[in-house]
Amino acid sequence: MKLFEQSFTATVAILTLVTPLHAQDYGNFENYTLRVKLIGGAQYEPLYTLIPEWEAATGARVDILSRKSHFELDREMKQDIAAGGVEYCVFSSHTNFAPQYAAMNQPLDGLVGQDVIAAFSPLVIDHATVDGKLVSLPRHSDVSNLFYVRSLYEDADNKARFKAQYGYDLMPPETWNQASDQAIFFADPPNRYGTHFAGKDEAITGRFYEMLVANGGKLFNDDWTAAFNGPEGQEALNWFTGLYQEKAVPAGTPNYVWDDLGLGFAAGNVAFDLDWAGWAGFFNSKDSNIRNDIGVVLAPKGSGGKRTGWSGSHSFSITQNCENKEAAASFITFLTSHEAQMIEARTGLLPTRTQVWDDIIAEFKDQDNDFMVEVFEVWGESMRDHAFTPPLIAEWGEVSNALWPQLQAAIVGDKSVEDALNDAAKEVNEIMEDAGYN
Amino acid sequence: MSRGQRDFLIWVATFLVMLAICIPGLWVVLSAFRPNGEILTKPAVWIPRDLSFDNFRAIFGLGDNVVGIPVGSYFWNSAVISVTSTVVAVTIGMSGGYAFARYRFPGKSSAFLWLMLSRTVPGIALSLPLFILWSWTGLIDTKLGVIIVYTAINVPFTIWLTEGFFRQVPRDLSEAAQIDGCTPWQAFWKVEFPLAKSGIASAAIFAFLTSWNEYALASQLTRSTDSKTLPVGLMDFTAQFTIDWAGMSAMAVIIIIPALILTFLVQKHLIAGLTFGGVKG
Amino acid sequence: MKRMRRYVRNNAVPLALLAPAVMIILVVVLLPLIFSFYTGFTNYRLIRPESLWDFIGLRNYARVLTDADFWAALWRTVLFLTVALNLEMLLGLCLALMVNRITWGQRTMRTIMMFPMMFSPILVGFQFKYMFNDTIGVVNNALQSLGLSQKAIPFLVDRWLAFGSIAFAEIWMSTSIFAILILAGLFAMPRDPIEAARVDGCTSWQVFRHITLPFLMPFIYIAMTIRSLDVARAYDIVDVMTGGGPAGRTELLWTLIARTAYDDARMGRANAMAYVSILLSIFFTWFFFRKLMAARQHLGAF
Repeated sequence: MKLFEQSFTATVAILTLVTPLHAQDYGNFENYTLRVKLIGGAQYEPLYTLIPEWEAATGARVDILSRKSHFELDREMKQDIAAGGVEYCVFSSHTNFAPQYAAMNQPLDGLVGQDVIAAFSPLVIDHATVDGKLVSLPRHSDVSNLFYVRSLYEDADNKARFKAQYGYDLMPPETWNQASDQAIFFADPPNRYGTHFAGKDEAITGRFYEMLVANGGKLFNDDWTAAFNGPEGQEALNWFTGLYQEKAVPAGTPNYVWDDLGLGFAAGNVAFDLDWAGWAGFFNSKDSNIRNDIGVVLAPKGSGGKRTGWSGSHSFSITQNCENKEAAASFITFLTSHEAQMIEARTGLLPTRTQVWDDIIAEFKDQDNDFMVEVFEVWGESMRDHAFTPPLIAEWGEVSNALWPQLQAAIVGDKSVEDALNDAAKEVNEIMEDAGYN
Repeated sequence: MSRGQRDFLIWVATFLVMLAICIPGLWVVLSAFRPNGEILTKPAVWIPRDLSFDNFRAIFGLGDNVVGIPVGSYFWNSAVISVTSTVVAVTIGMSGGYAFARYRFPGKSSAFLWLMLSRTVPGIALSLPLFILWSWTGLIDTKLGVIIVYTAINVPFTIWLTEGFFRQVPRDLSEAAQIDGCTPWQAFWKVEFPLAKSGIASAAIFAFLTSWNEYALASQLTRSTDSKTLPVGLMDFTAQFTIDWAGMSAMAVIIIIPALILTFLVQKHLIAGLTFGGVKG
Repeated sequence: MKRMRRYVRNNAVPLALLAPAVMIILVVVLLPLIFSFYTGFTNYRLIRPESLWDFIGLRNYARVLTDADFWAALWRTVLFLTVALNLEMLLGLCLALMVNRITWGQRTMRTIMMFPMMFSPILVGFQFKYMFNDTIGVVNNALQSLGLSQKAIPFLVDRWLAFGSIAFAEIWMSTSIFAILILAGLFAMPRDPIEAARVDGCTSWQVFRHITLPFLMPFIYIAMTIRSLDVARAYDIVDVMTGGGPAGRTELLWTLIARTAYDDARMGRANAMAYVSILLSIFFTWFFFRKLMAARQHLGAF
C-alpha cells in the first residue's frame, strides 16, 4: 500500500545509517537454525529486513516457515495445535488471541531479562500476561482514537447552526453522546455521513465491548456469566442502533470492516472516524481527499466517565516445544528492541517501549511533521492511560461470534436491543458452560 | 429486412449482451492499472487519470515498495499443480470411464452414482479432516498433497464425460483392429482414443480451470511458497486493517490471462466434447 | 469372502480399470468423512487436541437440530440453490440460443462468453463486495451519476438486496457453464426435424417448444447435475462479500460451518452440520440425476 511505501523508503535510508547492533548482547548460537512463523503483510514486513543483523550477530540462521496475514496465521496455529505439528520456536501472536494458544505458549519469565521487560510500557506487559505468566513480548499496539475533518468543525456557519440546534459549542466530541449529536448534525446522505463503524465480525463486538466498558459495564460477572445485557450494555448498543436509524451512518455499515472504513473516510464523505493509528499516513497522503484537513482527539468518554480504548498488541511468543529457548528469547528481544520499534513507529505503528514513544515524537518534530507529532501524542496518551483488552480467555473468539450477529440484528432493526442482548447472553452462557467455567 | 441485416442485428445484440456480462470482469482488469485512491472513491472518477503498471511493478517488487509478492513461485506452483492433477485425473478418469462404457459388472450403476456423489461433499467439510490426515502423512504444504486432492475432485466428472464418448464408439471397431493383429492396448490407442479425444479435451479444460481457481481447500493445505497457489496468494494483499484492491486486481489479471488463452485454444474441442457422446448413447 | 473373491475374479478387468479412481476418492473423500463422522460425536475443539477423545454422544446433533439459526441457514441455502440454479439455467439457455445464431466471429464470442469462468470464486467475492459497496462502490456511484437514484442503496445489508447480491455474484460466475453445456447440445442437434417442422408451417416458438427444448433437456439436466455437484464453491463468494451477515441475512450452511469450525474452533459441532449439508447436496444431485435418466430414456435408449 502507498501509505507504507513512503515510510518504507525512509526506513531503508535510515537503516543504512544506523550503526549495527547496540549495547545489547544477543548471545552466540553458531550454526543453529531458528524456525519461526511470522505475521505477513505490508505493514509488518519492514521489521523483518532487520533479521540478517540478528543472524550476523549470533551466528544463527532464521528459517521463516510461514508469513501470512493475522487471520490466516491464527487458523494455521489452531491447525498446528490440532495436528500436534508445532515444530518451530517462535510465532507471531496477539495479546487478545494468546490464550487460545495455551497449548503451545512458553512462559517468558526467566527467559527474557527483567531489565528488558521493565523497558516496556507496564500496561502493555499487563495485557500480554495470561494467568500471571508473561506469554508474549509485545511488538506494537493498536488502539483507536478519533480522526475528524477539521474544515467541517471550523466552518462558522456549521458552528452557528449547531449551537442553535443543540445548545452547546461545536467541538470535537468529548463524550459519545456529543459524538452522536454531531454525527446526526453532519449527516447528509448519500453525500456525507456523520460517522461510520465496522459492523461485522470481531470488529463490531470490540466496538460494542469498549462502549460497554466506557459506560461502566462489563462483559462477564465474576462467575463468568454474561453481564453485558444490563442497562450499560443496552445503552451501548442503543448508541449504534440510534445512529443507524437516524441514517447518520452509511446504510452499508453493518457490512463494513476496517478497509471499508479507511477508504470511506479518505474519500471524504464522513465527518469523523474512530480508527486505528495505522491509517494516519494514508489519510494524509495524496490518495486521500482530506489531505491536510484532519484533526485528531482522544476517543470520547462513555456515560461511566471512562474513555473507549479497546486495544491489543501484536507480539512474539515462544513455543514449549522449542529446543533452544535462549536463541528464541534472544530473537524476540531483538525484534522488539528500541531500534526495531523505531522502524515500526516511523511507519505509524504504536511502539510498546516507553522510550520509543518519546524518541519518535522528537524525530517527527525535527522533520516538522506536525500531523504525526499530534497523532503520536494523542495515541500515546491513549495507550498509557485508557487502553484495555477484552477478557483474556481462549473463548473470546466464540463469545464474539455469538455476540456480533445479535448486535447486527438490533442495528438493522430485526430485534429490539433488549431481545438481541438477552439472546446473545443465552448463547454466551452456553459457551462458557461448555468450556467449563461454571 | 433482409437476412443479412437480421444477422447483423443479432450479432450486435449478442455483442452488447456479452459486453454487459463482461463489465464486472473488465472493471477488475481496469482496476489493475489504477491506483487505489482512484478506484474506490466518491465522487467517482469515471475517466482514468492515472493508468500505469505500478501495481504490477509492486507485485514483482520493482516499485518503491521493496516488499514484493513471490508471484513467480505461486505461478509455478499453480502451473505444476493444475497441469499434473489434470493429467492424472484425465488418465485415471479415462480408465474408469472405459470400464463403465465397455464392461458389464454387478453393481455398475450404483458404483457410477456413488462416484458422482463423492463430488458433492463441500470442500469446507473436507478441509479440516484432510488437513489433519495430510499433516500426519507429511503431505501438508507440498505440491503433491494438493495434486492428490485436486485429482480426486476432478475424477468423477472426467469419468462421466469419457464414459459417454467411449459408449458411442462402436465395439466392432476395436474388435476389427484386434483381428488385424493389434493388441487390445494398441487397438485402444489407435482406434478408440482418437474418437473420444474431444470428450477428453473438454474434461481436461474443466479439470484445469477447477484446479487453477480453487481456493477453499488450497488455503488449508498450503502454507509457504513451496506450495501456495495463485488464488491463495491473492490473500497476501489483505492485512489486518487493509486490503490492497488495486494490487489484488493486478494479481487477478496474472491469474486470468493463462486460463483465458488456454480456453481460447482448446475451445473447438470443448464444445464438441461436451455433447456427452451425443446423450442418446 | 468366497463370493467376494469370485466377484473379483469374474470382473478383474473393469475392476482394475476402476481401481485408481476408487482408491484416490477413498483417500481424499471417504477417509476424511469417516474422521469427521466420528468427531461429530465428540466435543472436539481444535485448540484442545485431547478433546478428540471426549465422547458426547448425540449432543452435537441434538443442539444443531434444535438450533433455529441452523434451520434458517438450511432453508436459505435451499432457496439460494433453487434461485441460483434456475436463473443460471434460464440465462444460460438464452445466451446459448443467441450465440448459436451467430455466424461470424463465433469462436471469439464463445471465449468472451466464458470470461467469467476464469475468475476464481474468491476473486468474484472481493470484486462484488467492492462494486456493491454503498458509499464508494461503482454501482451506487453509477446510479447516482446517472440520476437514477438519490440515495445510497445498501446492497449488502438490506434483507433481500443482500441475498440478491450474493445470488447475483454466483449467477455471474456460473451462468457461462450452463451456456457452454447447452450450446454443446445445440451443436449436436440434428437439423432435419427442424427443417421438416418449418416446412409444415410451425412458428419459431412451436419449433423451439416442441423440438429444440425436448432435445436440450438432457443437456440442461446434465448442467444442473454438474452445477449442484460443485455449487458449494459459492462459499468463497459469500464469505468474502457478507460473511453470512448482517444479522444472518445471508447465512448459508457453508459459512455457518466454516465459522463454527475455525473461528469457534468447535470441530465436532461443525462436522455435525456438515453432514446435514452433505445430505442436502446429495439430494439435489440425485434429483437432477434422476431427471436426466428419465429424459434420456424419453429420447431413446440409455
